[in-house]
Amino acid sequence: MSMNRRTFVRTAGAAGAVLGADIGPALRRLYAFGQTAELSHVEARYYKRLPDREVECDLCPRRCRLGDKERGYCGVRQNDGGTYYTLVYGKACSVNVDPIEKKPFYHVLPGTDALSIATAGCNVHCKFCQNWEISQARPEQVQAFDLPPKAVADTAAKYRCPTIAYTYSEPTVFYEYMYDTSVEARRQGIRSVVVSGGHINPEPLEALIKVVAAIKIDLKAFNEDFYKTYVRGELKPVLEAVKIIAKSGTWLEIVYLVIPTLNDSVEDIRKMSRWILKDVGPDVPVHFTRFHPMYLIKNLPPTPISTLEKLRQAALEEGIRFVYTGNIPGHEGENTYCPQCRKMVIERRGYEIVRNDVRQGTCPSCRTRIPGIWA
Amino acid sequence: MGTATVVIVRGKGVVPRLGQVEPKLVAAMYERGLRILFGQSDAAAGLRTIFSPSDRVGIKVNAIAAPELATPPEVSLPLARLLASAGIREKNIAVWDRTNRELKDARYRLNAEGDAFRVMGTDTAGMGYPGEPVTHLNIGSLFSAIQSSFVTASISLAILKDHGMAGITAGMKNYFGAIHNPNKYHDDHCDPYVAELFDAPAVKSKHRLTVLDALVVQYHRGPSYHPRWAEPCGALVFGLDPVATDAVGGKIIEDLRKAKGLPTLEEDGRPPLYLRSAERMGLGTASLQNIRIIEDTV
Repeated sequence: MSMNRRTFVRTAGAAGAVLGADIGPALRRLYAFGQTAELSHVEARYYKRLPDREVECDLCPRRCRLGDKERGYCGVRQNDGGTYYTLVYGKACSVNVDPIEKKPFYHVLPGTDALSIATAGCNVHCKFCQNWEISQARPEQVQAFDLPPKAVADTAAKYRCPTIAYTYSEPTVFYEYMYDTSVEARRQGIRSVVVSGGHINPEPLEALIKVVAAIKIDLKAFNEDFYKTYVRGELKPVLEAVKIIAKSGTWLEIVYLVIPTLNDSVEDIRKMSRWILKDVGPDVPVHFTRFHPMYLIKNLPPTPISTLEKLRQAALEEGIRFVYTGNIPGHEGENTYCPQCRKMVIERRGYEIVRNDVRQGTCPSCRTRIPGIWA
Repeated sequence: MGTATVVIVRGKGVVPRLGQVEPKLVAAMYERGLRILFGQSDAAAGLRTIFSPSDRVGIKVNAIAAPELATPPEVSLPLARLLASAGIREKNIAVWDRTNRELKDARYRLNAEGDAFRVMGTDTAGMGYPGEPVTHLNIGSLFSAIQSSFVTASISLAILKDHGMAGITAGMKNYFGAIHNPNKYHDDHCDPYVAELFDAPAVKSKHRLTVLDALVVQYHRGPSYHPRWAEPCGALVFGLDPVATDAVGGKIIEDLRKAKGLPTLEEDGRPPLYLRSAERMGLGTASLQNIRIIEDTV
């Protein structure tokens, strides 16, 4: 089988059929067919045992304290008799081969495919979630398939994907599965990339960044009120996570979904850009992506292109060197320009690479370094 | 009789020991409690004042902490039989919860077809969580088809428990089991989410009656089962006002905590704030001084 972009993986060795975002919502709908997806029962990492069979989860800033048989906010980690378990280890509910630009990573192996996987669950509750059918579901409510770490790595190798992306829902909640898959994939020469909201505690994050190549953080806004109201999370720990990743040297990109009237303040974007410059550095790519009405926010229109252009311009003016617009195929903001000579070095159209002139990580014209993972 | 009347019926010997219930006594407690609540000659006559023979009635149980602390068949099936005696066809009476697995753990025999009582989880074939998410105030959820489509009228038959976040879990919070994402509504003491979920049309327009299973009350470190803080109270609590019934449930827990030398829920940092929110939203009466509590013993 030849593997083109956006190919839906129909089989994965012994794993059987797998479902994915590309096959449409009809087959991704919440489980209602009379079968029960089998849950995993693998002991979780990063938790404390407390008296009376209680546990405290140390994976994310929520630090859920749970009695026996209770689940965390994420819905996929459960206290069972005083031991904390992940219910989604090896239970992928979405598996696709996607262009890596779809994640989006623009400075990681452009033009290659990423085997992209997810399980159910998320540790926040964004009212604008684009993948709510799986992220806001409990594992019993989605169809999932046995795809243990080695099978994921084998599948990526089989389809010549140089990366595995943990994406769609929130990979923090399937941390153990992601971590072990990354270790296995690395043995096979396959890199791992993570697409996350960044609600993760420092200790597990510091362990994770040792086994993955790149992390994309969805920065939902640059003010706490937005996080409280529309995300049910906090901005502060996300910024801490971004700083840890940046300091580690693991490749980092930031995506900011621009929602009309809710988080599209130019002033906030200037503040965010100044923070990035100071605490992360000017080389982190920042993507301003277009919102489409979804999940619980259906009363707002798609983001005007002019708004995205305005925010991109503001970030560039503040000194961020690689600023993109997303979800506007064919827009000039999709392309990568040399920050020194301003020549286009990568031309994109949607998820396609039209031209990639980056040579050994440099601009072909002026030899300025273009940061990223290019080979 | 005003709606802010709550009836507590205790059954002498109904819980001979933890984990055991006397079904005949439970049936007698239902008969007594509903008769008092409705002021009718018998329980069936009372039920006929809030249900019609054409209704499909859901009895939403709570099996999450099965088997020790779940609404057992010995408590739900006598209520189903009373509904049948009130003229509702057995196949139109559903004892239900989130999953078949939890119901089985609570010792239920599943049944989703035929002329007998339905006993089923939302993951039963043909049910599930269909459609688009329903948004209501701060709630955004998919509803169980059992609650949104199958039933026309609803009873919350909840286990009364202390709850580490909400303070208490009783009749109103029991409807967390009617949505696909209850884990998203435990912040801020589950407030105002318990009240707002109850206020959603799929719940409020169908809810008719609350019954709290206080046969064994987990008065501390709930909602998990801890035998050292589980008291065999041997009581069922009946109310038409969902807020008042929960408030009385809260009082039972507070009284137990006081008797055992434990701090109040407020002192423990988890007052049941949702009761006040529910009262503000006009869902019922939260103030105990405005609730008439009638107690009886069988």
